[in-house]
Amino acid sequence: MPSASEPTTAPTAATAPAVTLARRPVGRIVPAVAVLVLAAAVLSFPSLAPNPYILSAGVVVLNYAVLSTSWNFVGGFTGYISLGHGALAGLGAYGTALLVTRAGLPSFVALAVAALLVAALAVPIGFAALRVRGASFVIVSIALVLILLLVFQSWASLTGGSRGLVVPRPFPGLLRPEHHRVFYFLFAGLLGLALLAWWLIDRSRFGLGLKAIREDEDKAEALGTPTFAYKLVVFVVSAGFTALAGGLYALWFGDLDPVFQFSILTGSYMVLMALLGGVRHLFGPVVGALVVGFALEYFKVEFGNTPLHLVATGLLLALVVLFMPDGVLPAIGGLLNRLSRPTQSSIREVTAAQLRDERAAASAAEGTRDRGDAAAATAGGRPQSTRERA
Amino acid sequence: MPSGALLFQSVILGLLLGGLYALLAAGLTLYFGIMRVVMIAHSAFLILAAYLAWWSHSRLGVDPLLSMVVTVPLFFGCGVLLQRLLLARLRPVTLTMMSVLLTFAIAVVIEGLLGYVFTGTQRRIQLGYGSASFGLFGARIAVVKLIAFGLAAVALAALYLLMKKTTFGWALRATIQHRDAARLVGIETDRVAGYGFGIGLATAAVGGTALALDTTIYPSLHWHWIGPLMAIIVVGGLGSVPGAAMAAMVLGLMQSLLQIPLGTTWAQTIFYLALFATLAFRPQGFFGGRLAQRF
Repeated sequence: MPSASEPTTAPTAATAPAVTLARRPVGRIVPAVAVLVLAAAVLSFPSLAPNPYILSAGVVVLNYAVLSTSWNFVGGFTGYISLGHGALAGLGAYGTALLVTRAGLPSFVALAVAALLVAALAVPIGFAALRVRGASFVIVSIALVLILLLVFQSWASLTGGSRGLVVPRPFPGLLRPEHHRVFYFLFAGLLGLALLAWWLIDRSRFGLGLKAIREDEDKAEALGTPTFAYKLVVFVVSAGFTALAGGLYALWFGDLDPVFQFSILTGSYMVLMALLGGVRHLFGPVVGALVVGFALEYFKVEFGNTPLHLVATGLLLALVVLFMPDGVLPAIGGLLNRLSRPTQSSIREVTAAQLRDERAAASAAEGTRDRGDAAAATAGGRPQSTRERA
Repeated sequence: MPSGALLFQSVILGLLLGGLYALLAAGLTLYFGIMRVVMIAHSAFLILAAYLAWWSHSRLGVDPLLSMVVTVPLFFGCGVLLQRLLLARLRPVTLTMMSVLLTFAIAVVIEGLLGYVFTGTQRRIQLGYGSASFGLFGARIAVVKLIAFGLAAVALAALYLLMKKTTFGWALRATIQHRDAARLVGIETDRVAGYGFGIGLATAAVGGTALALDTTIYPSLHWHWIGPLMAIIVVGGLGSVPGAAMAAMVLGLMQSLLQIPLGTTWAQTIFYLALFATLAFRPQGFFGGRLAQRF
């Protein structure tokens, strides 16, 4: 072996640590680039959309993305699955609409006030639902949808009942395509806000406590995590964002009907999107919203109003729950990992037999290298010591 | 103040309704006991059975009660398959949450298929004895309601005898109480759990037939049933069959009585109020045992 090429060829045995070192900056750059690409794609969509219908479909998908990201505050961090977040969105929508029509507030002030009211209402709901574990929480979340549907349908003098409630447009002068465009950007902004909040919680000590609840609530409590308070706070945050999305939808769509606002299906779409994308990932719900939102629009176009979209939703949900409970993003990540295993196998995944072989090879290589220069020997010594630790 | 006869009528109707609730809640409790599964699709199967009863009456011309000869074994088989093929595949750690989603998905699929096959039109069985009724101390009681109650009572009694007096019931109760210990003493818990699910679903077949006798049915009706039923099992204490039966009778009675001043729609809210009050003040339910503490 010529000694001139030694420094570059010697660390062949040291690829594993070299890659982990190199991966760290890559680990930071890849998400940053992904975020930029995603943001650029989202923001350029309105100018690329060929007609207002596509643009309005984009608004619907963004609405779904905000909703499922809001859902993921509870579902992703704590593992508590709520099927009733549709009701919170409906409350936000009706709250905004009623504050505009009855109290005469400006549209966006009404939106903010409604979101705060819903967040406040989420405190007693969460108090009842979160004191007990899993099963009761799901039951309460479903009951919430059913009870609110009952109330909003029956209380026709306030809510308009089944005749619906018309929400005045916030920008009366705008033509319809322009209206879609403005709301597209509003929803995009709200999505950015929700993602930022999720990201911040994910990195915080608070988020760590929430994830501890997801993994093992008893142990988390034993270690001093105020589990009930944490669950309640994150539920309230989630309710606030969900209400914002619902209220913005009310301002955009302009017509509310209890059957659609307090539909158990809305909540199940949120769950489906988040699960499909991957509840443990920041962008999981967004990816899920893209897939499910597109599929829903496609179904509407293909099959019209037949109940077949129910069957499709149910089948998709069952498939995700049975075969992909961690979502698409981890599945893709796992696939990539498997394909590129030879170059980036982590130290821990090496079996004892492989370790023995590698050591033998390394020591043999070291033996030959000792005759070369001393610098190469120290470079070769580094993987040796990391492996000892493993 | 409503008249005495009206009150008496409401009490009778409430008890008859409570009997049906009790049967259906018993099925839900069974699932929960066996696998800690909240079976959202229970009421969807209920409506499915009601549709099958309606279909056999209107298309084949047989009495809806006879449809049970087919639906009960059919549903039993469905329950066994559901448990063995689908629910048993879920990871134990997240079983409670994921099973809710899975059974929810099944409920939605059933609703969609019912809507596709039978359309969304409201259906009702027209029976010869459908409008017959008799007087009892000034209250009018429809014969079909009494038949429905009788069905529920017979099914509940059979369930009780099965659970308490047979070897299978003994094995099932052991599986519910402590699965690992049951396996240690030689009970094939997987098979028993499957059969337990089958029995639970068979109660839905009986309940659905009873429901079809005097109710107008439509595909999305099951949402009106799952809410009250889930409230009942929480109020009764998750996993407790006597608790569920008691809660069913009490809440059914209250719903019936509240219909006098409030009307049918608002009277339904009693279930949800009871649910929230129970969780806020006594989360383990009013008759709940060991199981309910942690769920």
